[in-house]
Amino acid sequence: MCKCPLGIALVLAIALSYAPAALAQSKQPSEKKAPGKPFDPHDLSGVWQQDHPRLITVDARYWVYKFTMEEPPMTAWGLAEFNAAKTSFGPHAFPLAETNDPVYHTCTPLGFPRIFLYPLPLQIVQSPGEVIMLFEYDSLRHQIHTDGRAHDTSLGPLWMGDSVGHWEGNTLVADTLNFNDKTWLDRMGHPHSEGLHVIERIRRVDHDHLVDDLTIEDSKAYSKPWTAHQIFALEPKWTLAESFCEDQESFEKIDEDAAAPAKK
Amino acid sequence: MKVRIGRAIALRKRLLGFLLALAMVLGFSRTASAQTKHPSEAPAAPAPFNPHDLSGVWMQDRPRPGTVLERYWIYELTEEEPPMTAWGEAQFKAAKSSFGTHAVPIDETNDPIYRNCSPTGFPRAFFHAFPLQIVQVPGEVIMLFEWDSMRHQIHTDGRAHDTALGPLWMGDSVGHWEGDTLVADTVNFNDKTWLDRIGHPHSEALHVIEHIRRLDRDHLQDDITIDDPKAYSKPWTGRIVFALKPTWTLAEEFCEDIASFESIEKQETTPAK
Repeated sequence: MCKCPLGIALVLAIALSYAPAALAQSKQPSEKKAPGKPFDPHDLSGVWQQDHPRLITVDARYWVYKFTMEEPPMTAWGLAEFNAAKTSFGPHAFPLAETNDPVYHTCTPLGFPRIFLYPLPLQIVQSPGEVIMLFEYDSLRHQIHTDGRAHDTSLGPLWMGDSVGHWEGNTLVADTLNFNDKTWLDRMGHPHSEGLHVIERIRRVDHDHLVDDLTIEDSKAYSKPWTAHQIFALEPKWTLAESFCEDQESFEKIDEDAAAPAKK
Repeated sequence: MKVRIGRAIALRKRLLGFLLALAMVLGFSRTASAQTKHPSEAPAAPAPFNPHDLSGVWMQDRPRPGTVLERYWIYELTEEEPPMTAWGEAQFKAAKSSFGTHAVPIDETNDPIYRNCSPTGFPRAFFHAFPLQIVQVPGEVIMLFEWDSMRHQIHTDGRAHDTALGPLWMGDSVGHWEGDTLVADTVNFNDKTWLDRIGHPHSEALHVIEHIRRLDRDHLQDDITIDDPKAYSKPWTGRIVFALKPTWTLAEEFCEDIASFESIEKQETTPAK
């Protein structure tokens, strides 16, 4: 063995420079990319919150008030309704005192699918024959009957519609119709008629994420069906709280709270 | 010849005997045919049920006495007055309800629901004459009310109350099973609601204990104890029994839809289902 301090130093230096990788490898020799947590794709239950990227500009955050970045294809009727809507959101926003948003003046139920745009969580509970979305905001619910029943037209026009669903493989397909026409489709004033027909394709893509692709079909308001892609993240430590419209001191406060999420 | 006459007499007797027997048989025919059709049928056995399964659509199950004034359950939990403190009495006197013996006209009521469609609070949600649906999943028993989409979410996963949630309209509920009874404990209420529809009060200290039991397949019983030392000098209990409605589905009944509050009351006192 030769006494070669420089050589040893060099070898040592090289060894140390690879040390973190070497140490990592020796501590967790089998860990490459962490495998996804196991999950049952037919189990949608849990508390979920809308999962959005954090873009820089406020203008880019269309999801605060509508379902797609691009404008949906409106009919002449649809466009006239949209132009008459005075929303407090988006590039042509009105001051709150001037908005004709039905929710802001009378605390009317948000309706469906508008409820998805409200930045508060939802909880899915699943029992034989039903998948129910419970929304924190205003205690609303979206009750999807999966027991094979047909739509019930005797219920009359509904704020949240009447929903039936079935599984296609790992996707829950929910079909909702029988809406009243007292709500905006979103928070920007895109319209819908009583002919609104919403088809959702809901899929748990991994343990922590749920996708709900919404198709909006309403031939009075839109010249063809169009689809929005929504993603939710699981919040295993959250419980639904209460958030009732009547509690809001002013609607300025609703918008402030929405822009600065402060969660438990 | 003797034989022929004898036979005729015998036939007549036999005919009489037959007719008599027929009459007896016909007189007992319902039982007889029941017995012959269902020889093994004793009194009908009660339908089997799982006492730990509270799920289904349920509606308050009440007798029908003669006068509207006797139907206390439309607006309060017990027929007799609860034992109020001085504070409780003062609140109660200030309440101008459109129900009961001292009812005011609807346009004079100060009932918080009638003024601004506010959430009912709990247990008031039970007094709006619409059904509720119980959904049971691991860790929770949830009552969904048709009226105003209210819900009573009882966590049965062993958690403690969550005071971080702040005062709530429907309170914060945890529950556990004691044999076949679900004991639900609700605290953490705001003070913006009436306890019932006649204006009995409660404070933020309201503590509601329910003993919920499925009596048979078609009946659910909820013994509700009200414990609120600011409003009541001692705890008191009322009972509500519900009947299963297997063919019903919850519809929507939003306060905002009601053209006037006269129509709320009319709708609720003439159930059309």
